Amino acid sequence: MRNRSRPVVMVFVWGLILIMLIWVLFPFYWAFLNSIKKPAETFQATWVPWLQFQPTLEHWASELSIRETRNALRNSTIISVSAATVALVLGTLAAYALARFRFQRISNGSLTTWFLSQRVLPPVVVVIPFFLLMRQLKLLDSVWALVLLNATFTLPFPVIILSQMFRELPVELEEAAMVDGASRLQSFLRVALPLVLPGLVATWIICMAFSWNEFLFALSLTSNRALPMPVYIAGAEHTRGVQFWFVGVRVMLTMLPPTILALLAQRYIIRGLTLGAVKG
Amino acid sequence: MAQEPVIPSGGVLNDVAQGGNVARRTKDPTGMFFLLPAAVWVLLFTIFPLLYALYTSFWSFRFGQRNQFVGLDNFVRLFTDANLHSALRVTLTFVIVTVVVEMLVGFGLALLLNQEIRGKSVLRAIMVLPLFATPVGMGFLGITLFYEINGPINVFLRTLGIEGIPWLSTPQWAPVAVMLIDIWQWTPFVFLVSLAALQGLPVDLYEAAEVDGASGWDSFRNITLPLMTPTLWLILLLRLVEAFKVFDIPASMTLGGPGRATEVYSLFTYRTALRFFDHGYAAAQGILLLFIVMLIVTLLFGRIRELYEVGG
Repeated sequence: MRNRSRPVVMVFVWGLILIMLIWVLFPFYWAFLNSIKKPAETFQATWVPWLQFQPTLEHWASELSIRETRNALRNSTIISVSAATVALVLGTLAAYALARFRFQRISNGSLTTWFLSQRVLPPVVVVIPFFLLMRQLKLLDSVWALVLLNATFTLPFPVIILSQMFRELPVELEEAAMVDGASRLQSFLRVALPLVLPGLVATWIICMAFSWNEFLFALSLTSNRALPMPVYIAGAEHTRGVQFWFVGVRVMLTMLPPTILALLAQRYIIRGLTLGAVKG
Repeated sequence: MAQEPVIPSGGVLNDVAQGGNVARRTKDPTGMFFLLPAAVWVLLFTIFPLLYALYTSFWSFRFGQRNQFVGLDNFVRLFTDANLHSALRVTLTFVIVTVVVEMLVGFGLALLLNQEIRGKSVLRAIMVLPLFATPVGMGFLGITLFYEINGPINVFLRTLGIEGIPWLSTPQWAPVAVMLIDIWQWTPFVFLVSLAALQGLPVDLYEAAEVDGASGWDSFRNITLPLMTPTLWLILLLRLVEAFKVFDIPASMTLGGPGRATEVYSLFTYRTALRFFDHGYAAAQGILLLFIVMLIVTLLFGRIRELYEVGG
């Protein structure tokens, strides 16, 4: 099947690719387009800025001048960076444990499955316990509640991606370091960690993107001060009606960070999303 | 990059199926030091809440009344609640339609594009974008995409001669709009994973088949399909589990409406819990959902493990 690139086939293939690209990219372009069009031009079928209409940044400026918007952006940043960091620290340690040690009571395979099983748990099952717990801890409407939850639910990514990477490293390097008098911890920190640095960064990024996009817990546990972007934009049409330019800016502000992050971590995404079964 | 054998590449399936490559693992007790923080964290923040949810499901919480132990009453209610049944129906339709379309289109596209073409890495990068486009953002944007008067989708359909579909205001079309957004978001996932797996298939098998005079269809049926089966089952499992959890898109685009046309299971449970504060009943609903998902995982995971054992 491969290598048989007759011209007819290639025309078909490229036509298909073109349709795919339009289908995938259109929503992004639509959001962008609306964000730079004047309200009166919303329903005009004009597609190319400068040529067909004069773009404007006024909606971006006015949206970013709203204090609540800046707050939501800040909250989302704090939540995703902190949650990803916690998940990465805990997950990397566990990944190293699973790659380098054999556990007696419970097999490594069962431990791995257990760590991954969170991706199966529907979040709505634990929404009530978390709501009650956070109320008890006085963490309702606090970004730290969401840091905690997102760290928990993104923990499987570092566990799976990094335990594979550690397993692919030659053990001899760490053994040599230990022969030279380094402790386990030192050989982990100084030998193993630097070698998986690209994977570490990519995993951190994936966790950030997931935490940024999380909605159900954010909706349940925040009400005002701690609102992150997804909750902030959801339901806004009911207070302001459907204003396309305003939807455009808000959607762009919400979706740009995770999609850009995802591009940076591209190589590791398939591996992370298939729980390590398929490498992209 | 994708030339190494892709399928049995470590990961949980490998670990479970073959015990992993444990040869170089030591039994040093310091391993606990690395494992414990994450293990304790997961125990505290998933197992404990889960047990608490189970406990809650045996109680009734009503305003102005003392919490009451009601035994299995909340679970009995699950069988008679018409609204819950409607949510289940909506969710099942959503799961079946989206997963089937995503699998067929995603795998089909991967097969067609599994050729030597230029710019493949750019294409792959672009296909990653929908996976991380905030679902709530897409739901919100969906309101404008599916706008009935002069929204872009209806404008496009008009050029095909289809007039003004009432996407968001009728119970027939609102679920379609929600499903289309999900299909937009997750078909690329099936595509990317299938493509990665296809490119890892051994080229020499195809060459040998061609030498033996096999047609394209022969090698698809006798080489590609059997070798792809484990990966396809895995994608199916991951998509099913994820689809049952659907919440963000209907919650932001249609708010479950019109009527209850897009009120999916998680949205219904969320409302039971945090709008009506019927915690006990909501917990029982959650447990039922968990049970359904676990059932799927158990059934499919056994199947996948078998395939990997045979294949790997």
